[in-house]
Amino acid sequence: MKSRKAIAALAIAAVGVGLLAGCSSSDSAGAKNGKVYLTVAPVLPGATADALKALGDRVKEFEKANPNIIVKPIEYQWTGTTFAAELAGGTLPDVFNVPFTDSKTLANNGQLADITAEFKKTSTADKWNKNVLDVATGKDGKIYGIPWGPYAMALSYNREIFTKAGLDPDKPPTTLDEIEADAKAIAEKVPGTAGYMQMTSGNTGGWELATLTNSLGGRLETVGSDGKVTVTTDNDETKQALAWLQKLRWDDNAMGSNFLFDWAGINQAFASGQIAMYMSGSDVIGSLMQANGFDQTKYGVTTFPLADSPDAGILSGGNVDVVNVKDSPAQIAAAVKWIDFYRTQPTVDKAAAVKNAQTLKAGKQAVNAPTLPVFDKSTWQQNQQWIEPYANIPAANIKPFTDGIFDQQIVPEPSAHTQDLYGALDSVVQAVLTKKNVDVDAQLKAVDKKIQALVDADQG
Amino acid sequence: MSDRTIISSADWKRPGVRIPTTVLHVVLLLLLIAVGLLPLLWLAKSAITPTQDTLQHPMSLFPNGFAWSNLAHAWNDVHIGSYFVNTIWVTLGEWVVQLVVATTGGFALAVLKPAYAKVVSGLVLATLFVPAVVLLVPLYLTILHPPVIGTSLLNTYWAVWLPAGASAFNVLLVMRFFQGLPTEVFEAAETDGAGPFRLFWSIVLPMSRPILGVVSVFAISAAWADFLWPMLVLPNQQIQPLSVRLPAIASQTDLGVYLAALAIASLIPVVIFLCFQRTFLRGGGLGGAVKG
Amino acid sequence: MLTRAEAAEQATGLGGAAVRRPTERVRPRCTPITWVRRGGLSKLVFTLPLLVVFGVFSWWPIVRAVAMSFQHTNLVTAPVFVGWQNFAYVFHDPTFWVAVRNTGWFALLALVFGYPLPLVVAVIMSEVRRLKGLYSVLAYLPVVMPPVVSVLLWKFFYDARAEGVFNTILGWVGISPQPWIQSTVAAMPSLVLQATWAAAGGTIVIYLAALTSVAPELYDAAEVDGAGIWGKIWHVTLPQLRGILFITLILQIIGTAQVFLQPFLFTGGGPVDSTTTILLLVYRYAFTNSLGGNYGAATALSLMLAVFLALMSILYFRLTKRWSDA
Repeated sequence: MKSRKAIAALAIAAVGVGLLAGCSSSDSAGAKNGKVYLTVAPVLPGATADALKALGDRVKEFEKANPNIIVKPIEYQWTGTTFAAELAGGTLPDVFNVPFTDSKTLANNGQLADITAEFKKTSTADKWNKNVLDVATGKDGKIYGIPWGPYAMALSYNREIFTKAGLDPDKPPTTLDEIEADAKAIAEKVPGTAGYMQMTSGNTGGWELATLTNSLGGRLETVGSDGKVTVTTDNDETKQALAWLQKLRWDDNAMGSNFLFDWAGINQAFASGQIAMYMSGSDVIGSLMQANGFDQTKYGVTTFPLADSPDAGILSGGNVDVVNVKDSPAQIAAAVKWIDFYRTQPTVDKAAAVKNAQTLKAGKQAVNAPTLPVFDKSTWQQNQQWIEPYANIPAANIKPFTDGIFDQQIVPEPSAHTQDLYGALDSVVQAVLTKKNVDVDAQLKAVDKKIQALVDADQG
Repeated sequence: MSDRTIISSADWKRPGVRIPTTVLHVVLLLLLIAVGLLPLLWLAKSAITPTQDTLQHPMSLFPNGFAWSNLAHAWNDVHIGSYFVNTIWVTLGEWVVQLVVATTGGFALAVLKPAYAKVVSGLVLATLFVPAVVLLVPLYLTILHPPVIGTSLLNTYWAVWLPAGASAFNVLLVMRFFQGLPTEVFEAAETDGAGPFRLFWSIVLPMSRPILGVVSVFAISAAWADFLWPMLVLPNQQIQPLSVRLPAIASQTDLGVYLAALAIASLIPVVIFLCFQRTFLRGGGLGGAVKG
Repeated sequence: MLTRAEAAEQATGLGGAAVRRPTERVRPRCTPITWVRRGGLSKLVFTLPLLVVFGVFSWWPIVRAVAMSFQHTNLVTAPVFVGWQNFAYVFHDPTFWVAVRNTGWFALLALVFGYPLPLVVAVIMSEVRRLKGLYSVLAYLPVVMPPVVSVLLWKFFYDARAEGVFNTILGWVGISPQPWIQSTVAAMPSLVLQATWAAAGGTIVIYLAALTSVAPELYDAAEVDGAGIWGKIWHVTLPQLRGILFITLILQIIGTAQVFLQPFLFTGGGPVDSTTTILLLVYRYAFTNSLGGNYGAATALSLMLAVFLALMSILYFRLTKRWSDA
């Protein structure tokens, strides 16, 4: 009697363990009865019902063209904190996106699937801008992903506030001095509004300081001919950039009263009218519309001003769609087909471009958010013409940016320990904005020392 | 013997005592209202105020009317309801796991006393002195690659439920309680031919309601408040509890809607508290005194 | 009642082992079947949930934490033993010392503001003759709010614009807008203010319970000795609460040493690391780099904190034990 009960209890325990295993094993059975199953991550969390329906239509379209592939779209947003966890835990979908700064390292670490063979089969394989495709190329020369949506850093501004402050929204500032003058005017005439602000926390402070430094012609890291990386945040241009911020903050009092902003936080503050101008990616209107419900008719964007220096350039970035390293060859083939269909074709194929634009418009998503070309300027311009009838951001609002961007030299982000570098610089930017007298030199020297140690540890 | 406090009834009759004390009490009441109640009322007000009003005139009462739609948005678009359900799942699971581990383990160690009981209870006691912070990283890696079953527990509720069971405090509390049960009960049950399972289920458990209540209060309130751990092991938004989801969407939600979401998230615990205030206040007094 | 064998054992003292040996020989040999028959299996079944849960989610991770603090782990290649390198890394990180100082500062501020306040309020409340329940409910309301919600709400209260909630209120009495969490100086006190608000109700309720357990005779006796109200508080109330006051003190230190929620949600450790606490630094080491964390440094730092907290816990345990034995 006693032992029978004991056995029953053991059985229950065993079932429990079984359940546990059953619950956790995700459906990674790549192929069943000749079908290839593919989990893709094209949609941000919190997308509207319209956007989801539109996505569903595109999935159906893809499945119709590829009857042996079953696509399951899930919500996904790349964030530094959760990504490492999901990568280590093996819970990433079959197709997901990573930023330009991460793709090379992940590829070289063997954490992404090699898609070279399948990539070569796509119709656009030879058209790629070499510089853009480079971010998805490993040091072995193989292709590990397909870039999309590259952007340049830009100056976003609220046209409504410009008008309120007596400024002309069609004539945004074109130099740092003009930004300062406009910011000062706005802070004086529209109380409670920050004239200009930039991001400061969650590694974005360093990111935007890098942009400012590059725009003045400086670099935060230099790579020697032997490939050795030297961290050089203690340079004249970075100090000039910080001095500019210091002036805006303390002399002009034009940066408002809140100084702790990450990417999402500053977007929200901008969308709710607390900030008139800020430094952002050129495509940020997409997120402002999707996540913050911002009225795109109030939105203006222009190129971030570059100094008159041969080294001055605009920092750029973007996303790479990559394939899970655990996927089977059949899944990799299907994944590349999907990425080509979903990301690349709408930029080169008229029918795909139109269909995509219609989808976005129906979902009240930004159709013509300004991005950079992945192929060449003429393909990009043609694409703009195709989608023009569906464009939902007034052309005049983005004209200052699209007119100026092709004259700007593009600079990639610093490559070694990028996030550690950015994180360390967050503090420097915060110091300049929250403490009146800061020993900037000492702070930058400390950053150099800290990040150089990390870089040397890799190379040593 | 009547209940008495510092001030005696003789003291109370003196105006020099009564008046200042009464004034003190009124002032305290007003302060408590300002500190305890007003933030909640402000939240309730702002939940139905248009965003721009809350941003520009946070302390005005509805200068430009109401925005009832905030509540609907919080429910339908932010899906506050489904995150509530997730929170309840997390809480229920942690509660069940903690009760199962604490009662079976406590019973085994205190009543059945296998040869290894001393060693095991010593090891359990030892973990009482190891703060949760040490476990953060290794426990996280254990969740990523758990032994035996092999597949990651990330993004499953087991990742929050099971570690919650490893509460030395619960086990020791229950163990002590079982040790305090009269031994005659166990002897009588044994002569009746009751096996350990019947002893456990029909005799010990029904007798331990009070201690199970205490363990439950701790388990449920801890699960309700937990933030860092679920944030790490439940990166999938769809299964996150409120405590993880609310900070994550703070910047992606219209402020008015967001405050409505916060208001809904506070409403239920506040209502539960007001209904069961006696239990809460008594449990709170006990909890703080013994919790380690 | 002692059995004969036990009595013999006691009588022989050190010679107990000699007495025990023959009884052991009398027992049948231990085989799996006899083990099951004697209830070994059911004992094991009952211990199993505890063994599995503690083994996998407590004992093993603790052992692993110690091992990891001496290793470099990146989850891709095999861990490498690096001796004290992780500890050295932490000691050489200037942020570590900042975090230690900040955590100490938080604990100190919380002690100065948050520790006496609930006691004072509880003593006053214990004298309330009418609506006593209302006082308790009001004091406890902040505790009921989910901690994350109350931090997020206060984050909005702390808006540093003149239009911020607190700054509007200050404006009514003619005080200029304060920077709150936007300044390196004011950020930490602001965090402590919220933490105190959120926790005071719980402590008040504990003290109220303790106050009712003070024996009335003691007050009577003090009055006979001619003590006034202050005398009674000083000579009766406080000494009687000494034990619970000590316990709440140590609990508060243990709690504040692990503070994470407030700096993480309010400021992310800023401005300029002025609110970066030890646990936040552990989190940063381990979890904020998308290319893989420095798990070695994270575990090394958490072990150091753990040693400190373990000492505190032992002190706490000793005190509660002495207190409950007394």
